Amino acid sequence: MSNTTSQLPLEGIRVFELGIAIASPFCGRLMAHFGADVIKIESQLSPDVVRIIGSAWVRERDDLAAAAPDTSPYVPEMNASKRSVGLELKTDAGRDAALRIIAECDVFLANFGARALTELGLDYESVAAVNPNIVYVQLPGFGSDPAMPYYPFVAWGPNQAPLVGLDDFTGHAADPPAGIATVAPPDYMSALHAAIATLSGLEQREITGQGVHVDISQFETTLALLGPFVMDYDLTGTIHSRIGNHSSWGAPQGVYPCAGHERWVAITATDTESWEALSSLMGATSNEFDSADHRMSQREELDRIISDWTCTFDPHDLAHRLQSVGVAAHVVSTNEDLLHDTHTMSRNWYQVAPHARLGRDVFSGCAVKLSDTPGRWTDAGPSLGQHTREVLSDVAGMSDNEISELVAANGAFEQIEPETLVSRPWNDWIHLFLPGVDDARDL
Amino acid sequence: MAGPYSGVRVVDTTGLAGAYATRLFAGLGAEVIRLEPPHGSPLRTLAPFAESIEPPENSLWWAYLGMGTQSVVVDPDDGDALAQILSEADVVFEDRLPEQSPITADLLPDTAIRTTIVPFGLTGPKRAWKTSNLVSWAASGVLYTTGFQDKVPVAPAGHLQLALHASAASALVGTLLALRARRTSGTGQEVEISMHEAALMFAPETGVPVFLDDRVHRERSGNRRDLGRPFGLYPCSDGFVSIIVLMPRHWSAMAEWVAETTGNETIMEEVFQDLGVRMESQDLIDTWVEELTVGRTRLELFTEGQRRGIPITPVNTVSALVDDPHLQAAQYWSKTQLPNEVEVTVPGAPFRTNSDWWNITPAPLLGQHTELHLG
Repeated sequence: MSNTTSQLPLEGIRVFELGIAIASPFCGRLMAHFGADVIKIESQLSPDVVRIIGSAWVRERDDLAAAAPDTSPYVPEMNASKRSVGLELKTDAGRDAALRIIAECDVFLANFGARALTELGLDYESVAAVNPNIVYVQLPGFGSDPAMPYYPFVAWGPNQAPLVGLDDFTGHAADPPAGIATVAPPDYMSALHAAIATLSGLEQREITGQGVHVDISQFETTLALLGPFVMDYDLTGTIHSRIGNHSSWGAPQGVYPCAGHERWVAITATDTESWEALSSLMGATSNEFDSADHRMSQREELDRIISDWTCTFDPHDLAHRLQSVGVAAHVVSTNEDLLHDTHTMSRNWYQVAPHARLGRDVFSGCAVKLSDTPGRWTDAGPSLGQHTREVLSDVAGMSDNEISELVAANGAFEQIEPETLVSRPWNDWIHLFLPGVDDARDL
Repeated sequence: MAGPYSGVRVVDTTGLAGAYATRLFAGLGAEVIRLEPPHGSPLRTLAPFAESIEPPENSLWWAYLGMGTQSVVVDPDDGDALAQILSEADVVFEDRLPEQSPITADLLPDTAIRTTIVPFGLTGPKRAWKTSNLVSWAASGVLYTTGFQDKVPVAPAGHLQLALHASAASALVGTLLALRARRTSGTGQEVEISMHEAALMFAPETGVPVFLDDRVHRERSGNRRDLGRPFGLYPCSDGFVSIIVLMPRHWSAMAEWVAETTGNETIMEEVFQDLGVRMESQDLIDTWVEELTVGRTRLELFTEGQRRGIPITPVNTVSALVDDPHLQAAQYWSKTQLPNEVEVTVPGAPFRTNSDWWNITPAPLLGQHTELHLG
C-alpha cells in the first residue's frame, strides 16, 4: 500500500475561487494542497481582508506599500499553493474574462454573499450557462434563497460563533458567555463541509456526468454540531448552556493552575482508570472520591483539591507525569510553548515554501494526512495578481495583446512592482525553530 | 440521484472522534456499519438521555450521531466475524494506534482505505499520549486565549466537543480524497488525523505564524476585543447580542441608531468616527451602546440593526435557535424517531443540493443489523 509516486487526488481539477477571509479560502487551500489548480480571483477595489491586514512590520514602511498586500501571515494560512488572478468582476471585460476561466473549471467555490454573487452575474444559473457540469459550491451566511427572512443580512466573521450558539456554550456557568471570537470555529467547520460537498460533487460527476449546485448556509451547517442539545430541548425543554471546562460525563475535568504566571494544565480524568491513576499520583490517602457519582456531585471541591496539588508544578513536567500514568493532560499552550514543542516540530506542522515577494514564508500545515498521495505546498503566496497573465493566457486562451488591453481597461491587474523583494525579519533564523529548514545564510 | 457515495461500504469502530464523519458519510449514501462490542458503543453511554427508554438505547448522542448507520455486534474475540465484515470494506474508521487495533492489515482488501484518528498522530514523542476535547484545545493554543482575564481559561463551547467533530470532519475529507485517488490507483491507502492538529487547524488567528509576525503575546480578552468599538457581546433584555463595528459606514449607522433611540446626540460627534478615539473612550462607547441594547430583545436588536446595515447577531441559545424565524421558514430542522417511536427535532442536512443527496435513517438498536451481515 505504498506508492508515493501516485497522482494526487485532485490533480487535473481546476477550481475558480471567489473567497474572502476563511470559509471558502481554507477549503480552496485544502484542495490546492491535494493537487487541484486553485485560481483565486482577487480585486483591488474590494480586496480580500487578508490583503488589507498586511504584516505588522510593514505597516510603518511606506517604501513597501506595493508589497504590503502580500505580507500578511494570513495569506499562506488561507491561500498557500493557489494562483492569484486580479480581475475586477464589476467591469464587463473583467466578468467576461472570468467566464472564460470558469468555462475551463471543474469547481466554482465562493463565500461571497448570495446577493453579491447574483449582482455580479455569477449565481448558479449564470455559471451553469457557460459550464453546465460545474460543481458549484457557495457558502453564503444565510443561504441563497432570496425568499428567506435573513437573506439580505450581513454575516461578519466574529458574529458567526454567537449566532450559531457557540458563545452561549462558552464560559463558566456563573459568568456571561465568554465569547470565542478570538478564533472562528464556524468558518473552519464550514470550510470542511465545503470540502466534503465539493468532493461529493466531483464523485457525482464521475458517476453521472452531471454537475451540482451546493448551497451551504453557514448559519445552518454549524448547527449540525448541536444535535443532542436540540433533541433534549425538544423532548424536555432543557436549555443546555455553558459549564466551563467541566464534562457532563464525569469528573474531574478542568484547567488547573501551575507554578508561574498564567501557567495552566488541562486534565481529563473522567473514567475510573484515569481517576485512579491521577489520585494515586496525587498521593491521595482517603477513598472519599472512589465513587464516580460522588466525584460528579462534588466536582467543585475536587477541583479545589486538584488545584492545590497542581499549583506547585511546572505545567510541562506535570503533563508528562500525568500522561506517563495514562491520564489525558497537556499544558495550556501559548505560542511560545508551541514553538518549543518537539512533538509539533517532529511532525512538521509548520511548513516553509517559496514566496514570490518574501523569498520564503512559514505557515501552518494540513491536518489531513494521506500515506500514498500526500499533499504538496508549491507556494507560500500567492502574491496579489501574481498569475493574472499566466492564467488568462493558459486557461482562458487570451493573447498577450488581449490581456494587455484588459489590464489597460482596468478589467484586470497584474502584480504590482514584482521587483520589490523583501524578507521577513525572522527569515535568517527560521532554521532555529523549524528543524530541517536551511539557514538563510546558506541559500 | 441517491447520495454520491451509495455503494461504498464503511466500517466504523470509533467513538466520538469519528462519529460525526460516518454520520455525514451515511447521509451522503454510504453503507456505514458500526461495529459494537456486546455491551454497545461508548457513544451509547453519553448523557443526556431520553426518558422512558432503557439503556443502551437512550443516549441522545447516540440517537444523533448514530443516525444513518447499521449496528453489528462483534465479540472482540471473534476473529472470524471481524474478518467477514472487513473483507468487503471500502473504508475503515478507527480511533486506536495500529498496535492496539484488532484490525490487522491482512484482514483488509488492498482496495480498502484505512482512516485512523488518534490524539497526537501516529508519529512523534507524544504519539501515545491521551487526549479529550479539552486537552486538544489546550494543546492547540486556542484554550489559552479564550475566557475572561480574571478567570480560568475555557474551552470553546466545551459541551459540543468541537475538537472531536473537527477531527471527524477532517477524517471524512481525507477519506473522500483517498476514494478519489483510488479511482486512478486502484488501491487503498492510509488516512491519518491527529486530533491535536485538527484543533491547531482552527488556530491561525491566535497561532504561531501570526505571532511570529507581530510578537504579541495573546491574552484572554473576555467577550469584547480591542480591535474596534463596539466589538463583542452586549447585554440585552433576554441575553446578549454580538456587535462588530469596524468599518466607517457601520459606525455611522450604529451612532445614528443609538442617537435616535436614546436621545444621545454626543455620540454623533464627528470625533468618534475615528477608531482610535473610540478605542481610547471605549468604556464610554460601551455604556452608550448598552443604553440602546439593555431594554430590547435579541431578536428586536438583530432585525433592526441588520435593517440599518450593522453587523449584529443574537447570542443564540439552543431554544432561540429552535424557534428562530429564519430557520423555521427555511424548514431547516428535521425529525428523527427514537426507539419508543417518539419523534424528535434534529438538525437537518448540513447543506442543500439541487440533486437529491441527503437521506438519513434513525440510529439503529444495538445489534439490529448483526443478523443481516453475519447471519
